[in-house]
Amino acid sequence: MENMKSDESRLNNWLSLGFKLGIAVSLALVIIGLIILLSISGAKNIQPLIRLEQMPSAIVISVGILILLLTPIIQVIVAIVLFSIARNRLFLGISVAVLCFAAISLALALI
Amino acid sequence: MLLFRTTLLNGLNLGLNLWALGGTGLVAGLLGSALGVGGGFLIVPILTLALHLPIHVAIGSSLVAIVANSCTAAGIYTKARLTNVKLGLLLETATVPGAIIGGLAAAVIAPSILSALFGLVLIYAAYTMVARPYFMSEDVLSTDNSIDPNNTPHNLSSSLASSYYDQNLGKVVTYRVTHVPVGLGAGFFAGVLSSLLGIGGGIIKVPVMNLVMGLPIKATIATSTFMIAITTTAGALIYHYYGYIYPFIVAPLVIGVVIGAILGTELTKRARGILLRRIFGAFLFLVALLMFLKTANVI
Repeated sequence: MENMKSDESRLNNWLSLGFKLGIAVSLALVIIGLIILLSISGAKNIQPLIRLEQMPSAIVISVGILILLLTPIIQVIVAIVLFSIARNRLFLGISVAVLCFAAISLALALI
Repeated sequence: MLLFRTTLLNGLNLGLNLWALGGTGLVAGLLGSALGVGGGFLIVPILTLALHLPIHVAIGSSLVAIVANSCTAAGIYTKARLTNVKLGLLLETATVPGAIIGGLAAAVIAPSILSALFGLVLIYAAYTMVARPYFMSEDVLSTDNSIDPNNTPHNLSSSLASSYYDQNLGKVVTYRVTHVPVGLGAGFFAGVLSSLLGIGGGIIKVPVMNLVMGLPIKATIATSTFMIAITTTAGALIYHYYGYIYPFIVAPLVIGVVIGAILGTELTKRARGILLRRIFGAFLFLVALLMFLKTANVI
């Protein structure tokens, strides 16, 4: 029982750290991207749908959004690692299944 | 290419005000975390009704904002040991496939049908808040569901049993989880609705987890939040696949939502939650009406 609680405690700590880190990095990039956008255009109103590939601000923001979207998926990978260390086969299998489903949606985005 | 899948929206010349988008995210994040609902109920109507964005773009943007909101809250809840990670992952085996199916289905459903469906779900959410405001806002300990952690049979239910320290009650709350198949079914349905409408799906999951599966409300909200982060990610990636995620629309929303979520946590401690939920429920009825009027091209 104590080992189980210790494993759960470690899992919670790592997941919490991962969520906070992911949000911090993605938020920082999104803010930097917006600052670049405002410093270049200086306008309140923007045309958001035109030539995104040529805009550095759009690239920085998109990387931030990508990191944000990868954050929960990375947490599932962290859970897989910790369940395998704890030799918890049942939840290792469950976590792998969730990762596979998430990978399908990620693969669709990458196509 | 992963970063840019967006295409020009034919016939639209959008000049978006960053402050309006940031403000929308702020209010959604604030009310979302203060009331225990996803910000999608607010973001999608504002982006479509006030900022006149196409509903598919509004839903995609809302999903990304909800990921930001739920990741912020999940970071806090997991640290406080409120999240039942094992249960969350188990239910996600049904919810994520639902989210993928919902996202793929949304692309072929007419915007008017999506708006009408969103209006219907809004009415259900509003009814829950107005008619049953105590639900999801009270710290109810299901005493008949408490267990002796040292006297539990070894099966799936015992593997999902968990505990946390409740500061208000001043003691450790230990609980078991029941009716897992019902939870899986509800999770799948919540996943479909989440991607279809750009909402977190908590309005479906939270009642089932709390009332049917026997989780205390704090563990329910924390576990639902953890699940929403994964589910809405799957949905957002599908919308990205279809080119509905625009960096300059999403960026101010995300910043607003994260700030709002942090402020909302403070608001929860000070505001009268039940009154707040009733007011927000009445507001949702009004938004639902507007969504129906928009569907009928009256506005």
